[in-house]
Amino acid sequence: MSAVDIAAERARHPEVFRHRLWLPQVLLAAVFLYLAYLLWVFDFVRVFTDLPRMWVIVRLMLDWSHFAEWDHAELWQSMLETVAMAYLGSMLAVLFAVPLGFLGARNIIPARVFHFVTRRLFDGLRGLDQLIWALVFVRAMGLGPIAGILAIAVAETGVLAKLFAEAVEAIDRRQVEGITSTGAGFIGRLRYGVLPQVLPVMISQTLYSIESNSREATILGLVGAGGIGLRLSERIQINAWDQVAYVIVLILVSVAIIDTTSRYLRLRLIGGTNN
Amino acid sequence: MLELVDISRRFGDKPAVAQASVTIAEGEMIGIIGRSGAGKSTLLRLINRLIDPSEGKILSGGTDVTALRGKQLRAWRARTAMIFQQFNLVNRLDVLTNVMCGRLYDIPAPRVLLKWFTAEERALAIRALDRLGLADVALNRADALSGGQQQRVAIARALMQQPKILLADEPIASLDPLNAKLVMDALADINRRDGITVLTNLHTLDTARFYCRRIIGMSAGRIVFDGAPEVLTEPVLREIYGQPGQDVLDERVTSTSLPAGALAALAS
Repeated sequence: MSAVDIAAERARHPEVFRHRLWLPQVLLAAVFLYLAYLLWVFDFVRVFTDLPRMWVIVRLMLDWSHFAEWDHAELWQSMLETVAMAYLGSMLAVLFAVPLGFLGARNIIPARVFHFVTRRLFDGLRGLDQLIWALVFVRAMGLGPIAGILAIAVAETGVLAKLFAEAVEAIDRRQVEGITSTGAGFIGRLRYGVLPQVLPVMISQTLYSIESNSREATILGLVGAGGIGLRLSERIQINAWDQVAYVIVLILVSVAIIDTTSRYLRLRLIGGTNN
Repeated sequence: MLELVDISRRFGDKPAVAQASVTIAEGEMIGIIGRSGAGKSTLLRLINRLIDPSEGKILSGGTDVTALRGKQLRAWRARTAMIFQQFNLVNRLDVLTNVMCGRLYDIPAPRVLLKWFTAEERALAIRALDRLGLADVALNRADALSGGQQQRVAIARALMQQPKILLADEPIASLDPLNAKLVMDALADINRRDGITVLTNLHTLDTARFYCRRIIGMSAGRIVFDGAPEVLTEPVLREIYGQPGQDVLDERVTSTSLPAGALAALAS
């Protein structure tokens, strides 16, 4: 292609030959420079200088030669305690959240003010993290799993009640209308018109709540609310890294077992015909 | 005897039913026709008391139905069973439980909560299903059934209520011609054998003419025709369906039913 052809094309489609703006490139460079500055400010070099110490910990974690001397009874019992905390906390939450979920649904109780009050109550329970509730309950009830169970129950009630209420608001109105037209009362309408429609959501959310809380419950132990978390923090403090690794393995295996079980239960319970 | 006296219902400013007055004798089979939005559904829902009238009265044997509350209202709803265009069954429950829901009005609350139905209730339900040819799917989930089957389950639920009146809101509008015939035949059979009054909204004129000895025409919330199908002439139809300057619809075009010959061929 000759220079004349190029000139001709340029004359016909000048927009194709226009150079792109360099502003994006400059901005990108500026962002990178700023990032570099931040890393320098935060003494990022330590990541490399202190890395050997990290390696020491990793090596200690992998050395399980004292396996027979560890207090297995205590660790296993604490692990079970954590799972029990998660289960009991979640089930207590379900117990409160089912009636609250119905009450907080606009299509069940149409009163506006009531709806507003219940929803803000759910927000309040949910707004504080379980960890904060745990700190409060440890102060009130003392160290141990009771504080953990209550912390999970309170925070989870807020979560589940909100989810249940939203599930109830999303139901197919016609199925309820069919039940109403037969002359069924309030309880009959809830039991046969609403519940069968929301039960899959309720089961699914409850199982997920048990799953996620058995992960969360390990953290609650760190603030003294019972369970494996307490053992974990004790062993970190005395630099028993081999046992720390063992506890982590215990937690991962327990969580995996709970996840698998709940997946199986979910399929069994929701796939079926009757609720 | 059921009497609607000057009954009206407004949604916001829009009148859905306006000063409708009808008297219905026991054992009648009545078809209600009219364009969509003419107030047919609202009229049936007013009778079942799914919605309350803005004005007017519904009288049944001298008692004012519109004044009923609580347990009496529920008893009235049970006596005026209703079936719907979209069947309105509870999808995730099995067919048998759906039918037994027709007795919820006189089951005490603890049994309602525990889903505890007596042997008598079960027997009544399976008998109703058997009558509609559905006994073999009694334990299937309701939403696993075809539309025609679901509508017959809905009829079985209505029978379970042992009603005086059966209100059918476009019962065949979502069905194919053969299932439409099954459902309409079932309604006609219930009317003839059990003496239950049947009041049905229909969007096809020939179905109304074929099954009903009395037709009520509605337009813009008002009752504009009430009489035998033979008197349903073209000027009347124009008033019910047509807009000014528009030709009235050809009944064959709007029909969803099969010609008599085709049905005979299918049956043999």
